[in-house]
Amino acid sequence: MTREYSKWPETSWLSDSVDWRKAKTVAAGVDIGTTSAQAVVICDGELYGYASIHTGTDFKQTAEEVLAKATGNSGMTVKDIGAIGATGFGKINAGYASKSLDEVHCHGKGARFLYGPEVTTVVDLGAQTVKAIRLYEWDRVRDFMMNDICATGMGRNVEMVCDLLHVPITEIGEKSLALDGKTDPEPVSTTCYNFASTETMGLFRPEYRAEPLTENEVYASHLFALAWRILGVIGKLQPLDVGDIKVYEKLGFTGGLAKNSGVTKRIERELKTTALTSDWDPMLAGAIGAAILASE
Amino acid sequence: MDFKKLVEDRHEYAKAWKKRTGGKVIGWFEPYFPEEIAYAAGALPVRVLARHEPDYISDKWIYASCYPVRDITNLFLSGRYDYIDGIVNVEGCQWMYNAFEVAANNNEKLFNFYLFLPDYTDAPTSKHATRSEFQVYLDRMEELTGKKVTEADLDHAIEVYNTNRMLLRRVNELRRMERTPVLGSEMMNLVLADQVMDKAEMNKLLADFLAEAEERAPDKDRIRLMLIGSETFDTGLEELVEALGGNIVIDELDNGTSYYWNNVFPMKDRLMALALRYLGRPHCALKDNNWRRRPQHIFELSEDFNIDGALVAKQVYCHPHGSDSYAVWKILRERNIPYHYFERGVKLPADETSARLEAFMNMLKPGLNHLSGWHKAFGE
Repeated sequence: MTREYSKWPETSWLSDSVDWRKAKTVAAGVDIGTTSAQAVVICDGELYGYASIHTGTDFKQTAEEVLAKATGNSGMTVKDIGAIGATGFGKINAGYASKSLDEVHCHGKGARFLYGPEVTTVVDLGAQTVKAIRLYEWDRVRDFMMNDICATGMGRNVEMVCDLLHVPITEIGEKSLALDGKTDPEPVSTTCYNFASTETMGLFRPEYRAEPLTENEVYASHLFALAWRILGVIGKLQPLDVGDIKVYEKLGFTGGLAKNSGVTKRIERELKTTALTSDWDPMLAGAIGAAILASE
Repeated sequence: MDFKKLVEDRHEYAKAWKKRTGGKVIGWFEPYFPEEIAYAAGALPVRVLARHEPDYISDKWIYASCYPVRDITNLFLSGRYDYIDGIVNVEGCQWMYNAFEVAANNNEKLFNFYLFLPDYTDAPTSKHATRSEFQVYLDRMEELTGKKVTEADLDHAIEVYNTNRMLLRRVNELRRMERTPVLGSEMMNLVLADQVMDKAEMNKLLADFLAEAEERAPDKDRIRLMLIGSETFDTGLEELVEALGGNIVIDELDNGTSYYWNNVFPMKDRLMALALRYLGRPHCALKDNNWRRRPQHIFELSEDFNIDGALVAKQVYCHPHGSDSYAVWKILRERNIPYHYFERGVKLPADETSARLEAFMNMLKPGLNHLSGWHKAFGE
C-alpha cells in the first residue's frame, strides 16, 4: 500500500498554566477548511487550547471533533464558551457557532495575534485558496485579493505532488532549498494545477533533458511555480506607494502552506523581504481570528 | 410581471411572435448592433443570450474561449435557435465573432451580416463609415424582409427605442435613492428581458413596472455596490449579493446600463442619427482603447449612485476586459473607491464567490451584514 506522503501530523495542545474556570471571557474559533480544520479556545485574550486535524468526508463530524480536541480533557463544554466564531469553507457545519465570519477578516485578525500589530500584509496560503490581505495600521482590512479558478499555488497541489513524487510533505520545502549553491531551475507551468503536476513528473524523465535535474531541483521547479502563482495574487493588491513605505516589509504568512519553506522563502526572495515569525502554528490564524471577532 | 421568466422563455416568445406576425427574427451578438434598423424593416431583433447547458459540441469549434461564447455556440449547434432567420455581428470581440462564424457556417440558409463599426469611435471619419455600414445593412434587411424601409418606419423605430431607453433610465433613477426599492437582480432581469422582446410590447410592461416600483416602500439598509466588467447573462451574482445583505445599485456592463444609457437625437439623416447614437454610447472595453472615456464614466456613475464599493468581475478568458482592467483599477484607486476584482465563469462557484463577497462587504461596513442571515441565505 502506498504511504500517504501528503499526511501532515495532526496536533492539539492545552495550556497547563491557565485555569479556564477563573477566566472572565472564554471564546472559541473554528476554521473548517477543505483539507484541514482548526479550533482554538481563548481565555481572557490568551490562547488556552487548540487542535488541528484533517478534514474528513463528514464536515459536521470534523467540526465536532476539532472543538472536542481543542478543549481536551479540560471539562469545558460548548455551554461554557461565551462566543464561538466559525469560518472556512465548511463553517456552515459548525452548528454550535454563535457567529459565522468571513475568512479574510479572520486571517487578518489572527495574523495580528500571531505576528503583532505591525503586520500589514497577510498572505493566507490555504488548501484551496490564497488570500492576500492588506491591513491598515489600525485594525481594519484595507484590501484583499483571492486566487481565481486555477489551484496552482494552493496547499492541495502540494499534497498531490508529495503523493505523486513520494516525498513527505514536511520535507519537500527544505529539500527544494538544498540545491548545493545552484539557483532555482525554471518553474513548471503556472497555468494549471494539472499541467504543473504533470510537467513536474516529466522532469524526472532523463530523455527530456540533456542534463537531468536532481530530485531537489525538481521540487524547486515545482515550488517555484507555486510561489510565482501566489506572487501574482499578492501583486494585485492595491499598492502602498506612499513616500518611503515599503510595501512588503511587514509580511506575515498564515495557513498550512506557510509551513512550507520552499514556498515562503521563494516569495520572500522575490519580494525582497523577510516574513514575520511566530511561536504559534500559522495554520491556527483563521480559528484565532474567528474566536477574537466572535467575542468582540 | 416576472421578467426572469420572460428571459427563460425567450425562445417560446420569439417563436410565438413569429407565428403571430409572420416577421423575421434577427439574432444579434454584439452591443453596437443598431436594432432600430431591423425593427424598422419589420423584424424582431433579439439578443443571443448565453445559457449554460450540457455541452458536447462547442469544443470541436471553439477551444478555450470565454463561457458565453462557448455556450452561444452550443445553443446554435444544438438547435436552440432554429427559429432564427438571420444573425448579425458588429465588429467587436473576436471570440464572439468566432461564435457568429460557426453559427453562420453551420447553417447555409441563415441570413448573416458582419457589420463593421470602427474601433476609433471618435475619429473624424468614423461617423461617415458607420453611417455607410448602416446603409448597407439596411439594404440587406430590405432584401431579407421584402419591405422597403421608409423614413416614417425609421422614425417609428427610433421613437419606440427611445421610449424604451427612457423608461429603463427612469427605473434606473430609482436606484439612486437611499434604501432603493429596486434590487440589482430585478434591474438586470428587466434589461435582459428587454433585449429579447418586441420593444413596443416591452414598453407597456416597463411603464407598469415603473408605476408599481415608484410606490414601493424603501428597502432595508444595504451595502451599495457597483458592478463593472464582462457581460453576464444571468443574475446569479446579483442574487448572491442580495442574500448577503448588499445591493448592486448601478452597473457598468454592456448588457446593463450601457445598453440603454443614451438616446438617438433626431436628425434629418436618420442613419447618421443612429450612427452618432451608437458611436456615442458608453463604450465597451474593446472600443475604449483609444480615448479611455470609460474610466471617467465609471467614476461618474459611482458618484451619482453613491456606492460603498465596486465589484470588478471579468469572465474567464475575456480578453477585452482583461486588458482593460488596469485602467479601471487605476481610476478606482485614484478616487479612493474600494473595489474587489475577480474572475467568473457562466456558473458562479457559490462558496468561493460568497467567501469573497462576505469579506468585501464586511470590509466596507463592518458589522452591518455580520452574516446574521447567512445560514438563511443558503437554505439552512
